Amino acid sequence: MDARLANTWRLTLNEKNFIKTALLSEIRIDGRKPFEFRNISINFGREDGSAEVQLGQTRVMGIVTAKFVQPYRDRPNEGTLTIYPEFSPMADPSFEAGRSGESAVELGQIIDRGLRESRAVDTESLCIVAGKLVWAIRIDILILDNGGNLVDAANIAALAALMTFRTPECSLGGEDGQEVIIHPPEMRDPLPLILHHLPIAITFGFFIDENVVVIDPIHNEEAVMAGRMIATVNANGDICAIQKAGEGVSQRVIMQCLQLAITKAADITKQIKAAVEAYNSERALQKIKRETTCVGNSVKGDQNQTLDNKGISELVGKYMERLKLISVESYASKILMLRKSNH
Amino acid sequence: MEVDREDGRSQNQLRPLACSRNILHRAHGSASWSQGDTKVLAAVYGPKAGTKKNENPEKACIEVIWKPKTGQIGKPEKEYEMILKRTLESICILTVNPNTTTSIIVQVVNDDGALLPSAINAACMALVDAGIPMKHLAVAICCCLAKSGYVILDPTKLEEQKMKAFAYLVFPNSVRSVLPEGSLRVEGEPIENGIITSVTHGIMSVADYFYCLERGRAASVKLSDFLRRNLQQQSTDSSKAG
Repeated sequence: MDARLANTWRLTLNEKNFIKTALLSEIRIDGRKPFEFRNISINFGREDGSAEVQLGQTRVMGIVTAKFVQPYRDRPNEGTLTIYPEFSPMADPSFEAGRSGESAVELGQIIDRGLRESRAVDTESLCIVAGKLVWAIRIDILILDNGGNLVDAANIAALAALMTFRTPECSLGGEDGQEVIIHPPEMRDPLPLILHHLPIAITFGFFIDENVVVIDPIHNEEAVMAGRMIATVNANGDICAIQKAGEGVSQRVIMQCLQLAITKAADITKQIKAAVEAYNSERALQKIKRETTCVGNSVKGDQNQTLDNKGISELVGKYMERLKLISVESYASKILMLRKSNH
Repeated sequence: MEVDREDGRSQNQLRPLACSRNILHRAHGSASWSQGDTKVLAAVYGPKAGTKKNENPEKACIEVIWKPKTGQIGKPEKEYEMILKRTLESICILTVNPNTTTSIIVQVVNDDGALLPSAINAACMALVDAGIPMKHLAVAICCCLAKSGYVILDPTKLEEQKMKAFAYLVFPNSVRSVLPEGSLRVEGEPIENGIITSVTHGIMSVADYFYCLERGRAASVKLSDFLRRNLQQQSTDSSKAG
């Protein structure tokens, strides 16, 4: 549709030349140095397994959910992990609703390679009954604001969400040892996922002049750059995945970039772990508050409309436990149906 | 009649409201609205050139895209899109920019009851942030009817599931104006007594429905005050680039 083309955002030639000329003197238009990453801030949502990452102007949300499935026939002991990237039209005027474009598919593939193929997430621990029942982890990545470098931000969001996600504890029991009992969160603490290492994606942008390399490009720079390399590395110095596209770049430059990526990955890993620590300690505090107030609880009816923060988080905790109870009950009914189908 | 709600609120008490505008950088207008735990993000792009095939090119057109938190888009999402579209079409001044499309994208961040009213409020604030011309604001509220006959406002998800019936009601905001009293009346009634949208689920008697309307109208005054204070505070915003 011609009208849609008219609505796409395009950089003017003057802006493009300005960006390129400035880069030749190692000046970036947002004031950063060529190898400086933007500020990362990680926030968590109400439920376990939901994280929102802000990387400069880029904003990405990662949501992890799990459900029971039958495992694949060739891998009866392993759970599954699937990534669903969603390029929401709110992030960029050129993103369309419905079918995602090729960049969304590429983003999903890169994160998938980093997380699943490098065995960062332990899929064997997701098995409940070998050959019959495993957890299927689904990671939804919602792009809310496109300020450039979506892959890195989405990767961090996925990792943060995975680290804070909890599955209810399941054990085998019943008369014949075949029945799966799901313990509600009030009885037994839900379990975190096992992550062996944290693969961090670092994006480099290459421009026409070979010596010009930037890290973490913003959307203006992305429109101008000639080539791109996304290196997924972890803090141990392992390279999990590399994706390179665009103009040819010499080997020396690539090696330099990989070295740099490993240093940056160490920083980012520290940041993610610190944020997750803070969230976990907050969560533990809330749990303690909940358990001490649950005994002999009588809710008063004369509270003001504006509760203070502590009050709200207490009440929030109570809702979440009850909601989980309802969703766990529906799990239990699915298990009963599974048993019946086995007989 | 004293009612015990799980979180200790009274019948007519709303959950704590929070709203922030201009949170996204690429969108022309954006707002985040939260009522208790329910949180919705809305973004506006527009006006863009051209209207869709079946739309009237002599007026501006509004396109709504509803994104659930996870999962595929199904019939409930399409229904929400349609309700939002009709509500927003009635509050926007469509004749100012004919043959244009304004897109509103709603993203559900967390659903804990009263999702559609939160989305309508968020979309309204995002439209204000984008500067789209409107006649007045839309203020949305959810009223539930329990089996024993009492009405509660702004339910949580658990409360919604237990109720016999509930209604989403959208009213125009309360007017504070320097014009003389009589000139703002529509057919002899003040503007804020009108209803823009009403969606009901479940069975309720006519008397109960009118009681819900009354309670909802009273609550919409409180919501209008909150909106007014919020909009007045954030009147100095940094300019958007690109």
